[in-house]
Amino acid sequence: MAHSFAAAAVLRGIDLRIGAGELLAVVGPSGAGKTTLLRILSGALFPARGRALVDGQCLADLLQGSREQRRQLRAHRSRLGFVHQDHALVPNLRVVQNVVAGRFGQRGLWRALRSLVRPDQGDSEEVLRVLERVGIGAKMFHRTDTLSGGQQQRVAIARALFQHPTALLADEPVASVDPARARALVQLLVAVAAEIGLTLVVSLHDLGLAREFFPRLVGLREGGVIFDGCGADLAQSEVDALYLLDGHDQGQA
Amino acid sequence: MSVAQRVHELRRQRPRDRFLRGSLVLLAAVVIYAWFGGDVRVTELFSERRAANLARFFGHDAMPRPLRDAEGGGGFGALLQWVGQVWREKGATGVGATFAIAALSIVLAGAYGLLTAPLASRTLMRCDPYLSSEDCAWWRSVSISFRLIAVALRAVPEYMWAFLLLAVLGPTAWPAVLALAVHNAGILSRLGAETVENLPRRPLAGLRRLGASRSQIAVSALYPLGLGRYLLYFFYRFETCVREATVLGMLGVVSLGYFVVEARARDRYDELLLLILFGAILVLAADFISWLARRWLRQAK
Repeated sequence: MAHSFAAAAVLRGIDLRIGAGELLAVVGPSGAGKTTLLRILSGALFPARGRALVDGQCLADLLQGSREQRRQLRAHRSRLGFVHQDHALVPNLRVVQNVVAGRFGQRGLWRALRSLVRPDQGDSEEVLRVLERVGIGAKMFHRTDTLSGGQQQRVAIARALFQHPTALLADEPVASVDPARARALVQLLVAVAAEIGLTLVVSLHDLGLAREFFPRLVGLREGGVIFDGCGADLAQSEVDALYLLDGHDQGQA
Repeated sequence: MSVAQRVHELRRQRPRDRFLRGSLVLLAAVVIYAWFGGDVRVTELFSERRAANLARFFGHDAMPRPLRDAEGGGGFGALLQWVGQVWREKGATGVGATFAIAALSIVLAGAYGLLTAPLASRTLMRCDPYLSSEDCAWWRSVSISFRLIAVALRAVPEYMWAFLLLAVLGPTAWPAVLALAVHNAGILSRLGAETVENLPRRPLAGLRRLGASRSQIAVSALYPLGLGRYLLYFFYRFETCVREATVLGMLGVVSLGYFVVEARARDRYDELLLLILFGAILVLAADFISWLARRWLRQAK
């Protein structure tokens, strides 16, 4: 199946094509527009100018369209895994309940309610499989807020996988964990995506991690693309330009 | 410039809120006027005639009958016997009815609040994170309607509701139950909606983003996250209901208040005070139950 994004002109003349199964890291300093770009890709936000296309269809048009088209938009969102910076889980539910929520977009209210009370056999087995894939199978029936930050991020990844997504978007998924765990999480994301052939778009602060795991890097600064290409080809001057501090960031002496 | 001078200078330049200061001065002025300038005179409390009345009240009227010298001056045993008698004849009925009215009404109010809190909250009517703006206008009108209903229900005091309902339903316990239920339904609906509005947005946005509907978000995030706090409000209103149920008896519904009014009508101030004491003990018991429940809820988070 063909799966490509094309976003134009919201941040500042951005023209980006992402092919199916591509692994891509968006890097850049805080406030560069990484989150906005990911929100546009996910269909949570529509560009003020230009268009965001998924599989050749404009998301904003779907929203304005018929009931059937709006249903398509919801279906699109339900097949798009999104991992947030702060995992966005319901803290006082159990891990399994958070993970089954991944398929709410494809289910009605009663089915959802039942799966919250007691997931059926098929769901339970699949939840355990995805949890084992992300390395926390034993925590299936623990309360989510008793897990560490890194483990909760794994629950969020499991929830996204449970959606049977065609693409996985992760916005600063490792911003709140230590460097060792950050590396393990990024490695996990890339491995899982490569395994099932998912399109993966991850925004990262850490250029080193991005270069280590991703074949393609997009550098954003102040809403514009500074570079787009293979990490190895990146010149030192481009790296410096990306993270250069301006007077305000440095504070006044 | 020395460090001390720089601190002084920075302190002088700190941001200050003129409005806040002005309102404090205004508040002080109003308080002073209320105490010394208005119709309420502090000195009235301490007039001689008042002192004589107080002495008579506490020395004779309020003295339990068996302890009064004129009635034979019985001892502690007689006092206990009298307390037991008042309890059997009036107290038990009054306390039982008061508690039943409070419990029934808070359950009705709590159920209404629980069902309508998500609907009355602004959380559901927002487009973001409820991205699909298609039915935003519809949800906004739903939310505004439920908030208006809540405001209307609690705008009328429970005493007035009971007064109206007594005229319609006659002197059973139902006017009191419904009056408390209606007033508290409005309060709990509003407090519940505020609880929902104060929930962290991220978990809701996360669910919305993966395609969950409003009702799915309600059952999988709003209730699990907000129920603890809602129950704190619920038990707080329960305490209030117990107190109010006592007072509503004064309108003629058979609760403690009814017996209090009746004792006053017969000039039996000793009995009246004893009944008020029963009421206070009931309220303390309700406070204690509610405190236990709330402590347990806080620990369970």
